[in-house]
Amino acid sequence: MTALALPLPVRSAWRRWRPGAAAWTTLGVFLLFAVLVPRFASSGNLVNVLRVAAILCVAACGQAIVLVLGGIEFSFGSSAALASVVGVLAVPWLGPAGGLAAGGAVVIAIGALNGALIAGFGLPPFVVTLGMLMAAAGAAASLVGGQPIDAPPSAAFAWPAAGSVATIPVPILLGAAAVTVLHALLSRSRLGRLWYLAGANPVAARLSGIAVGRVTFLGYLVAGAFCAVTAVVLTSRVGSGQPNLAPNLPFESIAACAIGGIPLAGGEGRAHQVVCGVLVIAMMNNAVVLLNFPIAAQQLVMAVVIIGAVLLQNAGSLPVMLRRALTRRPNA
Amino acid sequence: MRTALRLLGGQRFLVAPLCLLGAVIVFAASAPEFLTLGNVSNVGAQMWVLALLAVGQMFAIVTRGFDISVGAVAALSSTIAAHAVNALGPAGLLAGPLTGLLCGTLTGFLIGFLRLQPIVATLGMMIGVRGLALLVTGDGQVVPLHDADLASWLAFDPAFGLPPADWGAIGCILLAGALLGRAVLGRRLVMLGSNPDAAHLVGIDTARTQLRAYQLCGGFAGLAGVLVLLRAGTGLPTDGAGMELQSIAAALIGGTALSGGVARVFPVVLGAAFIQAVLTGLDLQGVSPFIAQIVVGLVIVAAGFLEFALRRFQGFAFHRRSWT
Repeated sequence: MTALALPLPVRSAWRRWRPGAAAWTTLGVFLLFAVLVPRFASSGNLVNVLRVAAILCVAACGQAIVLVLGGIEFSFGSSAALASVVGVLAVPWLGPAGGLAAGGAVVIAIGALNGALIAGFGLPPFVVTLGMLMAAAGAAASLVGGQPIDAPPSAAFAWPAAGSVATIPVPILLGAAAVTVLHALLSRSRLGRLWYLAGANPVAARLSGIAVGRVTFLGYLVAGAFCAVTAVVLTSRVGSGQPNLAPNLPFESIAACAIGGIPLAGGEGRAHQVVCGVLVIAMMNNAVVLLNFPIAAQQLVMAVVIIGAVLLQNAGSLPVMLRRALTRRPNA
Repeated sequence: MRTALRLLGGQRFLVAPLCLLGAVIVFAASAPEFLTLGNVSNVGAQMWVLALLAVGQMFAIVTRGFDISVGAVAALSSTIAAHAVNALGPAGLLAGPLTGLLCGTLTGFLIGFLRLQPIVATLGMMIGVRGLALLVTGDGQVVPLHDADLASWLAFDPAFGLPPADWGAIGCILLAGALLGRAVLGRRLVMLGSNPDAAHLVGIDTARTQLRAYQLCGGFAGLAGVLVLLRAGTGLPTDGAGMELQSIAAALIGGTALSGGVARVFPVVLGAAFIQAVLTGLDLQGVSPFIAQIVVGLVIVAAGFLEFALRRFQGFAFHRRSWT
């Protein structure tokens, strides 16, 4: 290992830190919008972009852990909705901070339940989290009869979304903290190393003595904790219990990871890729609003960017694939 | 008994009939009006949209993929078919499946040839198709049919016991069954799902076969859109949210394996009937639709459990891991 790392320190630093496909994509999207969209590159707007990106980023960090494990997590959106409803309902008993904490605890509990079902019984993550998505959405709606309920206005309840520490908005701090924690977990901790191994090849991991079940369970639990932070910030931002809070959260978080280049097959994925993917989605959402596109066009642009950004990840092999599409194998 | 089991294709395909039977017994015991002729035909009439979507979804799942854009595609197809019928007369109904086929072709191209993950490609399609539906209708206005009599005749006037539209749906589902069980393409889809590498090595054009799976899925979503149009009398551009998840649920309860290579059409239809029976049955008892949503969610997880139990008791030597 040491022998390999010795020569050419300058070049190896570049090798280590050079931007990957995800970073180039993000930079390209940023420059494109900065040139094409008026007012996009103003500092006020960029802080706004970061504020929105940070909320998604925390959930995407959780999603990244699940994807590294070779799983998938659909229940984020409706568990956040359930958290907001439970949180607001709990405010009269526990106070604003306690209510938000109760909401967060609900999300963590759902993550733990998902993890227990997936790790304990070997159920497919797709099925478990899809079922949980519907069940939690139904639970959130039936608790409040389908109607949103307002939280009693209070400074403490609004703080996670609107407050700031030393002029930095709290959501951005939370987003940065989430990325730091994810990076530490994935590349510095024993648990993170086990996540990669269990995701890359669960059978090999089990045969080499790793408790794959426990590692998987912890993965879903930690992912639930990340999503809990997002749920608290979202609840605080809308200031009410919304049974339909963030229906697209699971899909946006998966898209962010995919745009960042994390394969859904498991065993790969780094924290900076999550950041890149989240930034692309946030910049795009911001730009289509600045351009005052109608909703229809906004959705079309979003579709093109999601698919295009993921295609860009393996742009090198596109010509080969296109040629295959145009030639027909004799048997087909 | 053995022969009966083999005819059904193994225990996993018994899940849907047993679930349906259980639901009928529970609902009939607690709400006598559940088994009245009117209500049974009510469930029968409502289930075909979901059945068409689920059968389409099955084609995607059998190749180890899935399609979360079917609800959006059905909504777009219903609006485009509505426009086409208003312009061309009854022949315009064909525009529905055609729209679905086009959407499915694009999805299949992205997944088969450009090697996108199904979740990314179909998520992008879902968002894009929703946008397209809004664009076609001028921000989500419903598109009423000028000739409402035609729609109500096709969707509600029984001929030989069922309305013509339902006969059409049954015909398409039978065709899907023949395609999956008897046609070369069906065999290729199953081979691709059970082992993509082997399928490639025996000379199957895997990319093109995957394209066909998503074309079928899109085409059936388009048919479902036409059925929605006929039943509602209007094209509904914002309809169909939640249908994608219900269709996946129906396909899974119907014994389709997420790990690919295992599917039957008939149990999938029974799975759709089960979900519709649960929704209608709970509605009859005055339970809020939100609780029904919880029940459907739990049933999906329970279906996963059943697969776990089957795997354990059949003593499978190996367990193929899907990407999920």
